[in-house]
Formats: sequence, structure tokens, C-alpha cells
Amino acid sequence: MKRFDRRDFLKSSAAAALAGSSTFGALGRALAAAPVNFFAWSAGVDQVKAHIAAFEAKTGIKVNYGNAPWAQYRDTLITKFVGKAPLDTLWVSDAWLPEWAEAGWLAPIDGYPELLKYNGDVDDFSTKSMMWKGRQYGLTYYTDYMGFFYDEGMLQKAGISAPPKTWDEVVQQSRKIKKAGLSEYPMMLSMARETWLIEFLSAMVFSHGGRFVDDGGAAVMQDKKKGAHEALRWIVDAVQKHKIVSPACVEIGELNGLKSFTSGQHAFAMLGRYRIRTLNDPKQSQIAPRARQALMPAGPNGKNATVGWNRFYGLTATAAKDKAKAADTVKLIEWFGGKADGKYAFQKLMFMDVGAGFAVKPLFKDPDIIKTYNEFSDIKMYERQQALAQKKDVVAPWFGEWDEVNGTAWQAAVVGKSSIEDALKRSADTWNKLRRRA
Amino acid sequence: MAARVGALRGLFGAPVSRYDQASALWLLAPMLGVLLVVAVFPVLYSLWISFFDLRLTRPHRVPFVWFENYQEIFQDELFWQSVWRSASFTVMSVTAIMAIGLGMALLLNEDFRGRRFLSAMLLVPWAIPYVANGLMWKWIYDSGYGALNGILFQLDFIDKYMVWLGDSQKTLWLIANAFVWKEVPLATILILVGLKSIPADLYGAARVDGANLWARFVHITLPSLRPAFMLVVIYETMMAIRHFDLFFILTEGGPAEASHVLAWHVYVETFRKLSFGTGSALAYIMALVTFLLAFWLIRTLGRKL
Repeated sequence: MKRFDRRDFLKSSAAAALAGSSTFGALGRALAAAPVNFFAWSAGVDQVKAHIAAFEAKTGIKVNYGNAPWAQYRDTLITKFVGKAPLDTLWVSDAWLPEWAEAGWLAPIDGYPELLKYNGDVDDFSTKSMMWKGRQYGLTYYTDYMGFFYDEGMLQKAGISAPPKTWDEVVQQSRKIKKAGLSEYPMMLSMARETWLIEFLSAMVFSHGGRFVDDGGAAVMQDKKKGAHEALRWIVDAVQKHKIVSPACVEIGELNGLKSFTSGQHAFAMLGRYRIRTLNDPKQSQIAPRARQALMPAGPNGKNATVGWNRFYGLTATAAKDKAKAADTVKLIEWFGGKADGKYAFQKLMFMDVGAGFAVKPLFKDPDIIKTYNEFSDIKMYERQQALAQKKDVVAPWFGEWDEVNGTAWQAAVVGKSSIEDALKRSADTWNKLRRRA
Repeated sequence: MAARVGALRGLFGAPVSRYDQASALWLLAPMLGVLLVVAVFPVLYSLWISFFDLRLTRPHRVPFVWFENYQEIFQDELFWQSVWRSASFTVMSVTAIMAIGLGMALLLNEDFRGRRFLSAMLLVPWAIPYVANGLMWKWIYDSGYGALNGILFQLDFIDKYMVWLGDSQKTLWLIANAFVWKEVPLATILILVGLKSIPADLYGAARVDGANLWARFVHITLPSLRPAFMLVVIYETMMAIRHFDLFFILTEGGPAEASHVLAWHVYVETFRKLSFGTGSALAYIMALVTFLLAFWLIRTLGRKL
């Protein structure tokens, strides 16, 4: 019989220690339920932390919260997904949904009726923005749309009594304002290559009654009747023929456009709806309190439609696989994206504190929200335009790649380096090529 | 002392080092290890992934595609356009840097009141980081409130504010201008060092022989500056070809691809499209082009030294 020597003793002790540590470790983890890992971009950080604290106090579920700046958010998250970093729920932009869903990083939430019950309260375009291939992937965090604004004072000085209802009227009124020497370029458009560009272009296309792609996902942007032709024609003419939009629009981003409009250089502007608070803040704007919102002007075939965007709470596929973790995560998603203690508390908090838009329609009837919003704008107009918002039709797994080419093609037409037909054909060809490849 | 040196000689009288080769390698091993991990491995790994269709957003399908990424790049019209733009940018920038740098060096080589102050001021652009430099020029070129428009308007050179970066005909020139502003100080210093090393006797002898200022410049100054010129041309060419920061801050490749240079092309493929396979292949092509160009410049310019 083999002697049990010192080496055998050490081996068996090490094995026992390993077995013990893994058993007790698992037991320990099970007892102290693992925290929910929640990642967001760096917006409303204090509000998020306060709402998490309330959640933890109410449920006893711990939350690990982290954030990254918006500019690096997509890259950061993709790196986290690829590196299998712990992540259970996160803020997702509608533009990334197909890409992340196809990669298998996000899980649908349509198996959770406690989350789906909120759809009845949410604007239709917002719910559609959270869907991919017929399945819903989240609950809304923030929703907004592209708005049309005007400087009421400048219009009055030019003898104009009402804002334009159509894009033709925008041209007529702009020419009148220009003739009166009130503004060199009465209409402010931001067409620099940045993430905002597709929102501006979509608003122009939708308000002209056009589409980039049809319901089947095929490119129609190049189609003269139902595509983006009318919208691009209007921009090109506004820059080159009527000279009511600055040719520098291709270097003006959304933020510079806002600064330019608040400095009183323009009569009209297309900006994110939430910018109205800044526009009518005398500390930040020279045109305060004269900035007004009007319905997005309509093209010959359009109906005042605009583009809406949505950011939502997504559930990761790794969290969905673990029943206990999924249950905790769903509770957190509901606490933020649905009701907390019977109220849409977080959406209201974000609106009141940082002006973030909401998709839950009952909040349009909230007395605090009505009172606050009417101090600097008109809540009826906010609601009316939101009801006419449409989701971006170009959101697909290849959106990022196509967006690069599309933005360049539109810019080329605006600066006169390409014809409208060639620009839209290039955009459509790229879309079709990427679609085939996928 | 002689006895100690003698003790270090081997059997056949050949000198022997105080330490042996193996110990040196052991001492260097940690640093070699670090270099292998942070420099050699990433370079080789990026070469490896340039043979895959690796897209971060499609993590479950990463096929090995041999040279397909390279083939696609060479068939892409935008790639050749970006090569052409990079070449144009490099030629215009390096030419301007050489000309202005030479002029500045000649000026600072003379004795005049305020020369030291001017020399110190010259270093300011060099000391400014590229990102800050880019933001500064973005303000200067802004079509709405930029200093360039303000000055030209007040001097009556223009009757209304002009579009600068948004004009595709001007974009590359304006970015080159910002690049030149930043790079001229270094070129000036290198050329000035060359100027200082020219023996004064040469000029004295030339004067005795009746050579005028122009003849002295052409026959003494310029030939003596060849080593400095070579250094400036090679360094600035490499910098210009690979330059990215100003394109990112000022135009993001626009408007309408007017400033879509090779470095921007690599960035878009790698970090916007997250297509790491093509991005790596592009980076290798760029590195190879830069290397070959540097090699050619050293061979041709170096031979004339």
C-alpha cells in the first residue's frame, strides 16, 4: 500500500480547498443576489442615481450603474459586448437596434407582459422604433423629434403674420425677410456630417411625403415620386437658387446651428424639439422669448410629418438567459421605463430637470408638465407634432455604413459637385449593395 | 591598473567583457517582453486579422478571406481618390513648410533687434497640441463668426462673409494651411541648425571672389543645407501622409469627401464601420506606402549628400 506522504497531503488539501471555495462561492453568490448591471450614456446622471437609490430601497436589488459619453457610447458598448463584460440592461438608440439584435447582444422583451402593458400609453412611432423583425426590444427612456422653429419678432418686422405651412411658403417668406435686410440666410439648416444629419434629412424627406426605403426594406430614395427627390431638390434650390440657406450649411453641425439661430441670424430653423427651452432662455439666447414652434412645413405631397427618435432600455441576451437575473433586470427596466410606484416618475423627472422628451402620452395631461412647458413654449404644439412623427425608415444592421455614404451624397448635391439624381442613385445603390451583402 | 586590465584578458590576450552576454539578455528580458506584448504582437496580430472579414458588429461570423480585403480596397474608387488627396495634401504642405521654414531660418540667422523674442514666439505653434490647433483653426475659419472673415471684411477685401471649410474647392488648402502653421517651427529650427553649421570662411572667400548675395545663397547656402532639407522633407512627408487630427476636427472628411484623405479612410473603415479586417488591411497598405516613400527619399536625397 502506498504511503500517504507530504506531497499527497498537499495535493489533497489543495483539491479540497478548491472544491470548497467554488461550492461556498456559488452559495454565497446565490445568497447575496448578484447586482443588476446597468449602463447608460452620461445624461441625467444625478437623476438616474437618485432613481436607482429609490429602486434599491424598494426592492433590495442592488444595481451597478456605469456610464460613458454619448460620443463614445456605441464603440464602448460594442467593445463590452465583444469582451463579454457584465451587462444586463442599458440605454439603446433606435439606430443601433438592428445591429445589436442581429449580433445576438440584445434579447426581445415580448415575453414579459409586465413590460408590454405600457405600450398602450406610448406613442406609436416610439414603440415601432423599439421593434426589429416584429419583436420588441425595450421600454422607452426618451423620445423626441425634429421640430420647426421661427423667430416671431423677425417675421413681424417683415410684415408676416403667420409662420409657413408649406416649404414653398418658407421660400416666399424667406425671400421677403432677405429683401427686407433682416437676414442674409433666413433658413438655418445643419448639414455637417455628424449623427444628427440623418435626423434632419429624414425630417425633410418625411415632410415632403417621401421615404428612403419602402416597408419591404428596398431603397426608394431615388424614386422621383415617392422618394427623397423633392426634399433634396428643395435644399439644393434653397442654397443655390434662392440663397435662403447658407452654402456653409455643410459645415454647420446641430450645436453650431443652435448657436447661430439663438444669435438672431435666422428666421427659421430645424432643431431637436427639446431645444425650445434653450431658444427661449434669455441667458442663452438673443431671440428669447420670441422663439416659437410651428408644425413642420409640408411639401407638395406631404402632411407636416417629421422624424422622431427613441432611446430605450434594452435587455441583454446574457441577462435574459439567467432567469433570476432576468427577473431582477425586468423589474429595473419597469421602474425606469414604465411606472415606479404607479407613476411615470422617471420620465417626468427627466423632463422637469433636463428637458428630455417623453413618449408616454398621459404625461401630456400632467399639470406640472403643462405649467412648466407653457412657460417657454406651447404643449399643444409639442403633442400635435409628436403625433405626426415617424420612425426612421433606414434603421437596419448596415445603417452606419450606409449613413456615411448617404450624408456625403447629399452634401455633394448641396455644394454642386453632383446632380440630385446622381446623389440619390449613389445612396440607393449603396443601400441595395449592403442589403444584399447582409 | 595595468595588472587589472591584464586580468581581464583571456587565454590568447583578447579582451574579455566584465559581464557575460547571458546576464545582459536576462537583464533586458523584461523590457523585451514588454515590447513583444505592446509592439510586436499587435503589429503581427493586425496583419493576421487583415486576412479576415472581421466586423465587430457581426461577432459570430468571421471568415478567413485571404487577400479579399486588399483586393476590395484596390477596387474601391474612394480609396484611390483618398490616395490622390493625401498626395496633394502632402505636396502642398511640405512645399510650403520648406519654403516658409527656409525663409524664417534665414531671417533668424541674421543679427537684428528682437531676434530672440521672435525665436521664442516661433515655438508657440509647435507647443500647441494638434487638437487645440484644430479647434483654434475651426474658430478662425468659421463662416458665421470666424476671425478670418472678420479681418477680411474689416479690411474691405470681402463685402460679405465667405464660406471657407464648407467650400469643397478650398477645404484641402485650408487644412494644409493649419498643418503648415503647426509644422513650420520645427522645420525652421532644423534648417537654422544647418545654417549655423556653415563655416563663415566660405562666405568670406566667396566675397573675395566677387560673388554677390544671390550667388552666395545658391552656391554656398543651399548646397550646405542639403542634410537639413533631407531631414525636413522626410519627416514632414511622413507626418503629412499620416495626418489625421485636423481632418477629424475641421471637416470629418467633408464636405462631400473633399477632405477624405487616406488616414480618414482608415478611421472610417475601422472605427465608424467597425470593419477591423478592412481597416487593418488599409493600415498595412498605408504603412507600406509610407515606408517605401521614406526609403526612396533617403536613397535619392541621401545620395546627393
